Amino acid sequence: MSNPLALVGSYLDVAIVFGLVLAAAPSIGNFMGRVFTNRPTFGEGVFGPVERGIYRLLGVNPRHSMRVREYISAFLLSNAALIIWIFLLLQLQNKLPLAAPNIPPMSWDLALHTSASFSTNTDFTHFVTESQVTEGGLLLGLQVAMFLSAGAGLAILAAFIRGFVRKDGTIGNYFVDITRCVVRILAPLSVLGALILVLLGLPQTFATSLQFHTLLGPVQTIPLGPVASWQSIMLLGSNGGGIFGANSTHPFENPSALSNLFEIGLMMLIPFSSPFAFASAVRRKGEAFPYLGTILIVFFIAVALLIIGQVASNPELSPIAALSQNSFYSAGQETRFTLPEGALFQTVSVYGNVGANNMAIGALSPIGQMAMLFGMFTQSTPGGVGTGMGYLLTNALIAIFVGGLMVGRTPEYLGKKIGKQQIGWAASLLLIHPVLIFGPLVATLLGGFAALPTTGVGASAHTFTSILYEFTSEAANNGSAMGSVYVNDTTLWFNVVGAVVMLVGRFMPMVAMLMISHHFSVQTPLPPGPGTLKTQSFTFMIYLTLFLIILTALLFLPALALGPLTQIGAGG
Amino acid sequence: MTARSPRPPRPLDTIPDETATERPTAPAGHHPILGHVRASIVLLILTMVLLGLAYPGALTVFAQEVTPWTANGSLLYNSTGAAVGSELIAQNLSAPWLFWERPSPVDYNSFNGSPTLLGYSDPALYNETEGYLQEYGPYAVNATVPEILVTVSGSGLDPDLTPGATLVQIPRIANATGLSLPVLNALVNKFITAPLYGFIGPYYVNVLLLDLYLVHNCENAQHQGVGTCITGS
Repeated sequence: MSNPLALVGSYLDVAIVFGLVLAAAPSIGNFMGRVFTNRPTFGEGVFGPVERGIYRLLGVNPRHSMRVREYISAFLLSNAALIIWIFLLLQLQNKLPLAAPNIPPMSWDLALHTSASFSTNTDFTHFVTESQVTEGGLLLGLQVAMFLSAGAGLAILAAFIRGFVRKDGTIGNYFVDITRCVVRILAPLSVLGALILVLLGLPQTFATSLQFHTLLGPVQTIPLGPVASWQSIMLLGSNGGGIFGANSTHPFENPSALSNLFEIGLMMLIPFSSPFAFASAVRRKGEAFPYLGTILIVFFIAVALLIIGQVASNPELSPIAALSQNSFYSAGQETRFTLPEGALFQTVSVYGNVGANNMAIGALSPIGQMAMLFGMFTQSTPGGVGTGMGYLLTNALIAIFVGGLMVGRTPEYLGKKIGKQQIGWAASLLLIHPVLIFGPLVATLLGGFAALPTTGVGASAHTFTSILYEFTSEAANNGSAMGSVYVNDTTLWFNVVGAVVMLVGRFMPMVAMLMISHHFSVQTPLPPGPGTLKTQSFTFMIYLTLFLIILTALLFLPALALGPLTQIGAGG
Repeated sequence: MTARSPRPPRPLDTIPDETATERPTAPAGHHPILGHVRASIVLLILTMVLLGLAYPGALTVFAQEVTPWTANGSLLYNSTGAAVGSELIAQNLSAPWLFWERPSPVDYNSFNGSPTLLGYSDPALYNETEGYLQEYGPYAVNATVPEILVTVSGSGLDPDLTPGATLVQIPRIANATGLSLPVLNALVNKFITAPLYGFIGPYYVNVLLLDLYLVHNCENAQHQGVGTCITGS
């Protein structure tokens, strides 16, 4: 790294991938926007008939538009069906097709945690996938949830956006929305992604494991499976639950630097295109840029912090004379990725609420862990598929409301007045997040469900951070985990509390988004007046960015002070 | 150039939205909840069949046809044709005459899960690293041990090492096998993978490939009576 040219060169490949996705984002966003607003899209001749067939099977009238109560009922019932199905499936997985003789059924609390986890797009795993889920459980349960939960996220975004466009009090048809989002966006892109992942060397077979004698003689068993098809929707749909316990550090999920770059692109695709999808759906092209700008500023700070934390050699190891330290701290890192490649994957994954990992978050520097936590606190830079843009819009509504009041402008956005109801729901959406994180955290520590080690500040602050990280990841429906050798999080307590945190953390904010949309959808839009705050401006972008950062810091700084900041203060 | 005045944005309320054409009135006597339950269940079944089974099934047919070697785990075979490992997965190679990989708390077996690593500033990290170092210590001749050899990877299955961490093991292998330092140096250099197109990925060595070659060559050497390197297992 001493040669400056080599330093620039080591960032070239990640810069190219990042640039390519951003270059494609307007077109993909425009396509998504057309899907959201029920306009014809590319491939209409194929998608149209398929969807009409599906509507017939579902018994849904696609021209029927729902008011908010009916929309919420359809959304919650559909998700309840999914959750119950997976809950039962995992407890009966040993009796169903594609079972394995050595994989027992899951206990009820683990099955509850898992079904909540995958149905809410969290994919936080309290199990080792290859040892504890059968192929039937994977394909008929968890992979189904990966498509439907991502589709639900996109559907809610579509319904949210409709509030700005409509004035008849309806916000769309949930079954039409999820069908269109899965048929036109998720299914084709994940097939395409999986084909490329196959070519990049990921396994794709229905065999579940393979045994042989190693070079030195003993038997080694390696897991196999339909990895490429799983990995594609896992990353594209911001799911993140690995087909193997080691997730994308496992060489079968992410075999090379090239596959790593492609997987970064897959994760970025929908979240980074979403601002353009919003702009296309409300037919205001310029609305995309303030949101994209905000996302990029926060995102780049996070990547930089992760890399800065990692390039310093770990002072804990420097007293060992017989050790020559690496150019970056190598514990938890895989040799086949450079630090920028690993760091971009990890930041995209956490900030895009995917939750996959190609490094061990538990071994990261405290600065890096803090950067990762911050992305789960905002949930919107860019956040998960569909929901991330929803969170960002909700933040923007509050920012416009507050900013409008400060400078004496009418609090309105896109011709719709931001009233008491919208702000009430938006505030509840933001405030439920710290409640869901700090409530369980305090209960866990005070109730003795986990104990901090007393062997030193470095160990106890790290363990505190890992519990904070667990509930943050679950509340944000992220799914990445830090892990600590001092805490067993697969207990009844962590399973049940975690399931509740994930379910409330997912459905309460989504219902709030639908309610905000409803209160907009009954308004007749006003023409923009001289008092309208200009949102298509650089100023608004900076304002929104600072608003988001300051609001998040106010809510969460005390927790960071007890965890990563204590660790930094105690000397690295 | 004629300056075109920008078209004013269309007011939002004139945008036709194809689904908004029907009022939200359900037919009399029809309960929407029952319709939602039916639609939810059918949606679940359709997704199961099409995206749970048909999608991975079709991909498997494609992969088995186009990339059968990687689709089935990138297996490596010894001279007798028996599988001895996967190119992508580390295995326990801790014999004195072989190049070693990074330590694995899950014993190179992903069914045991992924390693839970110690925190960055956990005091126990010093002892753990010292422990791994003891295994390498006696073999590091006139050199310090590179950090990567005594730190755990994220997966516990990392099959690769940096070139430096591979080269540092050469004196030990020379001692155990009788192969000369230049021969081993040349061998390792042959197995260094450079970044793809010069800028994708780091320089690294796949240790299993290197060891497989080493064992194979030693067996040949033994057959011809010119070397005594492999003591067998």
